[in-house]
Amino acid sequence: MIAARHILGTFDESLAALRNNVLMMAGLTERSLERAMKGLVDRNDDLCANAIADDEEIDQLEKQIDKDGVDILLRFQPVASDLRRVVSAMKLSSNLERMADQATTIARRARKLNRHPPLPEVELIRPMYDHAVSMFKDSVDAFAREDVELGRAVVPRDQKLDDLNRAASHKLVDRMAQDPDQLRGYLNLIFIGRCLERVGDHATNIAEDAVYAAAAEDIRHPSLAAAT
Amino acid sequence: MDHLVMETPERTVMERMEQGTAPPPEAETPAACTFEVKNLSIWYGEKRAIDNVTLGVASNAVTAIIGPSGCGKSTFLRALNRMHELTPRTRMEGTVLLNGDDLYSSTTDPAIVRRRVGMIFQKSNPFPTMTIGENVVIGLRLNGVRNQKFLNERLEKSLRMAALWDEVKDDLHKPGTSLSGGQQQRLCIARALAVEPEVILMDEPCSALDPIATAKIEELIHELKAKYTIVTVTHNMQQAGRISDYTAFMYLGRLIEFGPTTKIFTNPTEKQTEDYITGRFG
Repeated sequence: MIAARHILGTFDESLAALRNNVLMMAGLTERSLERAMKGLVDRNDDLCANAIADDEEIDQLEKQIDKDGVDILLRFQPVASDLRRVVSAMKLSSNLERMADQATTIARRARKLNRHPPLPEVELIRPMYDHAVSMFKDSVDAFAREDVELGRAVVPRDQKLDDLNRAASHKLVDRMAQDPDQLRGYLNLIFIGRCLERVGDHATNIAEDAVYAAAAEDIRHPSLAAAT
Repeated sequence: MDHLVMETPERTVMERMEQGTAPPPEAETPAACTFEVKNLSIWYGEKRAIDNVTLGVASNAVTAIIGPSGCGKSTFLRALNRMHELTPRTRMEGTVLLNGDDLYSSTTDPAIVRRRVGMIFQKSNPFPTMTIGENVVIGLRLNGVRNQKFLNERLEKSLRMAALWDEVKDDLHKPGTSLSGGQQQRLCIARALAVEPEVILMDEPCSALDPIATAKIEELIHELKAKYTIVTVTHNMQQAGRISDYTAFMYLGRLIEFGPTTKIFTNPTEKQTEDYITGRFG
């Protein structure tokens, strides 16, 4: 069921434009991550370059969303669910921009790796990527569909990503000791794993913002909630 | 593009009230209450303007009543000092307790009620034939106070509390109507304060004022709540959000939702409240 329209049609149009830009930014960020990962796995510098180039458009969208959000706050003084949607959209754009920065870093590291012989340890990165992107997609879906349960379910999934990253780092450090000639390559893979771990953190933030937008519930830092 | 909002089909609070399943609106009633309104209904002739409203008005806090035109918010406000009785063919049921005293008991004098519960109206209404000073102390004079020293002290105190003293102290002999609209409204507040009421009721106190005068009144309301309980009716939702601690949303004479203002304006429980405050009503 679609919410009743505002009496003020321009308010609906502004909210819709804000939301569309957030979803477009999420789509571009997902594409950028995908290109960076494919550039790493397929050793394709063109894809890496595309991922890096995507960042500019994403940065522009971040600025546009912030501007539109401030305009809505100024012109319409939204309250209740409208206010929560605007605030969440602006927070989402900030998280998406930082995710796209991670995609850029992955692409840059991948280009460095592509200059040297392939490392089979790249396969350690794939499950992390799959898990991080799955969290990312679900968090954006939770925002788009205002699905509180989906948003809530994303948050604990970050632990698995942290575990995968820790395990991969240990293996890569071991490999560095065994094969010091490829030290830089293993180091780049460790950094890429860390980028994906950060992607998971941002997906968690987005999921938390999605829950706030839909249900006015702040699920961040549960230990604080328990203390109060 | 429509923004997607997943809604569960839900009955409105009005429908649930009809079936007796609505949550009690007094669930969020504040702990210390100046007014305790219980099951209040008011009729103008055959028309039921207030329908079974139960509400506690928090002491030393600002309570805003919002709702569309004709929802009964002004009638409710007037019922808090029996002003609605000035309208012919009025009938009421229920009780209104002011600090424990039944305002509608047969032994209660309406004039005493109105002294304990002051009222500020939409349009400032200083007495046109009186000076600024006379306007402020007229309530005391009508109550038989003749001691000029006492009157002068109360005059200055009231004007200071209404944040008007510095602007008029040299012009107390001038007509009240010589002041600007915003000053006249603060003069009316000083006049209400002079009789030392327990409560100040305000019916759209800023709707005829410019933004600067409005800001001064809002600031004044904020300061006055340390000493007084304030109930205000407003059509200006942003104002309700700025100045009030509690907000009551009324519709068709019924209290739909009542609670802390922050809660009402960020996450209202009732869909009708949400639709009204977000501009989707009707």
